Amino acid sequence: MAVAAVHAGGIADHIHPEPQGFVRRYVFSLDHKIIGIQYIITAFVFFMLAGLLAEAIRTQLLNPGGGFVANGTYNEIYSIHGSTMVWLVTIPLLTGGFGNLVFPIMIGARDVAFPWLNMLSFWIFPVSGLMLFSSFLLGAPTAGWMEYPPVSLQGAAGTSMWCAAIFLVGVSSTMTGINFVVTILKMRAPGMTFTRMPLFVWGQFATAPLLMIATTALAAALAALFIERQFGVPFFDPAKGGSPVMWQHMFWFYSHPAVYIMILPAFGIISEVLPTFARKPIFGYKLIAFSSMSIALLGFMVWAHHMFTSGLAPFLQLPFMILTYVIGVPTGIKIFSWTATLFRGKIHYTTAMLFAIGFIALFTIGGITGIFLAAIPFDLHVHGTYFIVAHLHYVLVGGSLMGIFAGMYYWFPKMSGRLLNETLGKLHFWLFFIGFNLTFLPMHWLGMEGMPREVATYDPQFTFWNRFESFASYLMTFAILIFFFNAIWSIRNGKRAGANPWGARTLEWQIPSPPNYYNFKHVPTVYGLPYDFSTPLPYKGLDEELTDSPPVPAGAH
Amino acid sequence: MSSIEHQVPPVRLGRGFWAATAVLTVLAILAIVFWYAFPLERYLPAAIVTARQVDTLFRFMAAAGSALYIFVAGYLVYFAIAFRARRSDPPDAIGVQIHDNHKLEFWWTLIPTLFVILLSIVSVRIWYEIMLEPENGLVVEAIGHQFYFSFRYPQINGEVTDEMHLPLNEPVTLNLTAADVIHGFWVPAMRLKNDTVPGLVTTIRFTPRLAGRYPIICTQFCGVLHSTMNKQVLVIEDKASFERWYRGWQQKNAHASNALPAAGGQAVSLQGGNASAGQTLFAQKCSACHKVAPFDQKLVGPGLKAVLHDPAHPNLVDGKPATEQNVAAILQNGYTGSMGTMPNASANALSAQDIANLVTYLNSLK
Amino acid sequence: MSVASLARGAHGELDQLYIETRELRLQGFLLFLVSDCVLFSSFIFAYLYLRNSGQGWPPPGIQRLDVAFAAWNSVVLFGSGATMHYALENFKHGKWMAYMWFLLATIVLGAGFLGGQAYEYNHLIYAEHVTWWGSGIFGASFFTLTGMHGMHVFFGVCYLTVLVLQSSAGVYTRGKYFGITAGTLYWHFVDVIWVVLFSIFYLL
Ligand code: HEA
Ligand code: HEA
Ligand code: HEC
Ligand code: CUA
Ligand SMILES: [Cu+2]
Repeated sequence: MAVAAVHAGGIADHIHPEPQGFVRRYVFSLDHKIIGIQYIITAFVFFMLAGLLAEAIRTQLLNPGGGFVANGTYNEIYSIHGSTMVWLVTIPLLTGGFGNLVFPIMIGARDVAFPWLNMLSFWIFPVSGLMLFSSFLLGAPTAGWMEYPPVSLQGAAGTSMWCAAIFLVGVSSTMTGINFVVTILKMRAPGMTFTRMPLFVWGQFATAPLLMIATTALAAALAALFIERQFGVPFFDPAKGGSPVMWQHMFWFYSHPAVYIMILPAFGIISEVLPTFARKPIFGYKLIAFSSMSIALLGFMVWAHHMFTSGLAPFLQLPFMILTYVIGVPTGIKIFSWTATLFRGKIHYTTAMLFAIGFIALFTIGGITGIFLAAIPFDLHVHGTYFIVAHLHYVLVGGSLMGIFAGMYYWFPKMSGRLLNETLGKLHFWLFFIGFNLTFLPMHWLGMEGMPREVATYDPQFTFWNRFESFASYLMTFAILIFFFNAIWSIRNGKRAGANPWGARTLEWQIPSPPNYYNFKHVPTVYGLPYDFSTPLPYKGLDEELTDSPPVPAGAH
Repeated sequence: MSSIEHQVPPVRLGRGFWAATAVLTVLAILAIVFWYAFPLERYLPAAIVTARQVDTLFRFMAAAGSALYIFVAGYLVYFAIAFRARRSDPPDAIGVQIHDNHKLEFWWTLIPTLFVILLSIVSVRIWYEIMLEPENGLVVEAIGHQFYFSFRYPQINGEVTDEMHLPLNEPVTLNLTAADVIHGFWVPAMRLKNDTVPGLVTTIRFTPRLAGRYPIICTQFCGVLHSTMNKQVLVIEDKASFERWYRGWQQKNAHASNALPAAGGQAVSLQGGNASAGQTLFAQKCSACHKVAPFDQKLVGPGLKAVLHDPAHPNLVDGKPATEQNVAAILQNGYTGSMGTMPNASANALSAQDIANLVTYLNSLK
Repeated sequence: MSVASLARGAHGELDQLYIETRELRLQGFLLFLVSDCVLFSSFIFAYLYLRNSGQGWPPPGIQRLDVAFAAWNSVVLFGSGATMHYALENFKHGKWMAYMWFLLATIVLGAGFLGGQAYEYNHLIYAEHVTWWGSGIFGASFFTLTGMHGMHVFFGVCYLTVLVLQSSAGVYTRGKYFGITAGTLYWHFVDVIWVVLFSIFYLL
């Protein structure tokens, strides 16, 4: 009987026994890969629902007088659309989903630090999602995803349900954040120093503290709103001495960092996909890693740029404007480095690569309009209009969602052992790319000319562009249906992938697809950055990985 | 790894790169010219002095942003096409292994930083001009309600509900607050907005420079009828017309303590109501909140199937008996009770004739 | 050798595993305290914000709080911090009986603090008729924050009681006492929070 030796890899080497039985394996699984897949599937179900709500929004806006649903229902629809897309789709997909699925393998760990906590985080998530959607039965919240009081205090009973649901999903995020920080700090394989970590891991490492800290601040705000609604305890109601602006501070102190929660992991995905398919090292590895961390830090210092019109003292607004501009610099470094990564590459146009390039093209537009918004005089014009809606979809759909799709095409083989169909994938990409731009580009000028957001009916002068957008959004729906079809079809009929269909160099591709329960038979030792295509793989101890025998603890031979 | 880094052969940029750069430069210049030539004011008049500054800032950012974008996206597309893997390449061909280039990274950190400094200077200056508008202008107050604004001219001391008049070229100090929830006070032609926050008075200052009628739009979600809170207008007119208007209100106000019929205002004439016109109107304006169904089937407000003929509910929500006059009063003045707020006539944009039509229609429901 | 047998292996091996996982758990636990701290900070921010946005503090109709009583109560809580500290130290040095006594003392003092808080609440609500949770922003911030803190103390007392039971059952050994470390950290954390709450509610 061998003793699990402590070596430089420490806990990374500890092996759980593989559980038996369907429930333990696939339902209440402790395995990070299964949990990752559970997150991804659940989040895509919510994505369908929220996407259907988005199409309901667009259908209502076909005519200036609305008419598809009643005003009040329309307000419920976009509130749940925004809340779901943010809290139940993008954040869980990028952290719990892709994070769980691959980053422990990328650092050479056999699991995350706290598998139990991980399972708990996951199971809270669908429950809170069901709670959120069940708020439709009580009268869903209507005041948008930011639920500003005092209107949200007048909202129907579902608003309290909304508070509880978002609170819960926040608890789940916080636990995931703690889990990931400890995993990255403590469970890297021997030789996996910080300067050798793949950039996706850096993305998670920058995101996890945001999950931990910002989300808790939101939890406090939600608790306060809930208490106020249910027990009449005054925090925000000005009639009782509370302050509605305080909610905005508490909410945006969370929600600005939250937008980076939704983009930093996507940056990480892009930083993996680009070098793989350009057959080139990522350009400026250190600066990209560093810029992720500085974006995360700066993200805590700019929240009031959402509140330039709420009556803050003018001199307090200036630092927020300037710090927000500053975020453009590290983000620019990333954009330029990615572009430079393509230079002199041997670029393979897989669907994942198309989405990665599309990401850069679209996110940059959203980022630049973000800088516009940070300029107070201009924001005083367009705050609360469709210009904001345009900005947020360019960064969230053109950024996060494109990143998610890139990740899906890239890692689908790791999840299922099969490739997604590339022809359908390319069709998906082009229809989505075109449909997306046609839907959201006109919103910029609609907003500037005078169309406010969150409206069920609008001035007839805007009819043309609204119809145009609605029809374009149907095209986008069609593209996404292709994706869903592709995913479901390929699970059974896709081409078998083998361990490393893309010729990628990070650790997750050096083990079988899907990986064994214990990831690594031997925990490898790492000698360098993963992105050097001209050298042999910088890992030792992986030789026997492709056979299917159970693992041997280090030190046994 | 580091040993390899040093073996990278010097990277040549090649002819295609310079050709692409030339094309992109031309495109970028065209974009800049476009933004400075674009007739923004044709789409949105600049009604106050600082609106033009905001446009200047927008032109600057749009020009810089487009130029920047053209370069980023242009190189992206050029690289993507020029360096694609070809059929003739061996399957394991790799790109040129470039890890980084400190000079390049230095420049693309420095230039955006400089740009951020420049942008900060430009936007702080324009911001400063907006803040520095004269302090002691004509004082006007706008109060956000669900779902309309009321305007007060403190010297008149009464509410002036549907329009806000301002004299040309006179500085204005506009104090904003709200009675119930947060609203946004936006006049697109002014490029200026501020939230009206209950319990807080915020101030914006500006000087009108272009006569005209401009919509006032609520930009903060404030309840079911948020999307209709855009029916009121800002009238900017020459000083003489403004004075005339202003004095008119002053006189009216001398007679009635409240300018518009608030609670207990004069009764509306119900002569000549037309039930079918009322029905159309009801579908447009009331059905968001009311069903034509028994009292207890409510949406936002109660069902109105038999408001005037329901033995179970002899009284209206305000406690008065269900008569035509009292229903008309609710339509005219609105009512806030246990179910929420019934908007008043100006929020629903109802004329006296509309009210008569509606009441006739409601009376016809049994 | 199968994977399953490995985890169920000999004692020496499990302890080895324990040492390795202890560090993980310690770090995880500290991060949990960090996020808990953010929760308190947010409410403290809310309180200070409301306090500064109104028409002076305390709001009209509310007397100043009774500092003397709360100070005595704080002494009780800080005393429990000290006893908890000694409990852990004694455990580390293998003095089991002393450990038990100090642990029990901590529980008694913690419970005493809760009793004091209950008395204070009762006094504020019924004797002085000053305020209650929903009556105004003072009540809102005071009862929410001190109540949240009280809940933390309450859960701490429960946890320490579990520790007593587990210790008597011999769950913790000299090399393996993470549960006690975590309890101590938590208890000190709750103390520190109280220092802040006491200063901002009673002294400021
Ligand atoms: C990641 C976030 C995200 C994503 C992906 C999207 C995606 C989309 N959004 Fe959304 N949106 C937000 C986040 C997001 N949005 C937020 C935060 C707000 C602000 C809310 C607020 O004001 O509070 C908002 C608001 C918002 C508005 C403004 C509403 C208003 O202010 O009145 C509009 C209007 O057009 C809109 C449209 C769309 C469209 C057309 C898509 C499309 O891209 C959607 C495409 C997806 C689909 C169409 C799904 C297709 C799937 C199927 C069809 C499956 C079939 C299903 C079954 C068989 C069950 N969104
Ligand atoms: C993924 C999500 C995401 C991301 C990444 C961002 C990124 C940014 N956002 Fe955005 N934002 C949202 C999601 C996001 N945002 C949402 C959902 C809202 C609406 C919330 C609501 O009200 O419902 C919003 C609203 C919003 C506002 C409030 C507007 C208002 O309501 O009045 C502002 C104002 O400053 C802003 C700014 C920015 C800035 C400066 C960035 C920057 O991080 C962008 C940085 C990127 C670039 C600048 C481009 C690349 C850089 C270069 C090519 C280098 C050169 C450039 C310079 C040196 C300038 N955003
Ligand atoms: C914003 C939603 C809303 C709109 C739009 C609206 N109402 Fe109402 N209405 C209400 C509410 C809420 C009440 C009940 C007020 C209370 O008692 O709390 C009400 C009450 C009434 C009542 C009194 C009912 C009774 O049984 O006493 C009548 C009559 C009425 N509304 C007619 C109309 C008509 C006609 C229109 C269209 C011009 C209209 N309402 C538009 C919300 C609305
Ligand atoms: Cu008032 Cu929206
Ligand atoms: Cu932001």
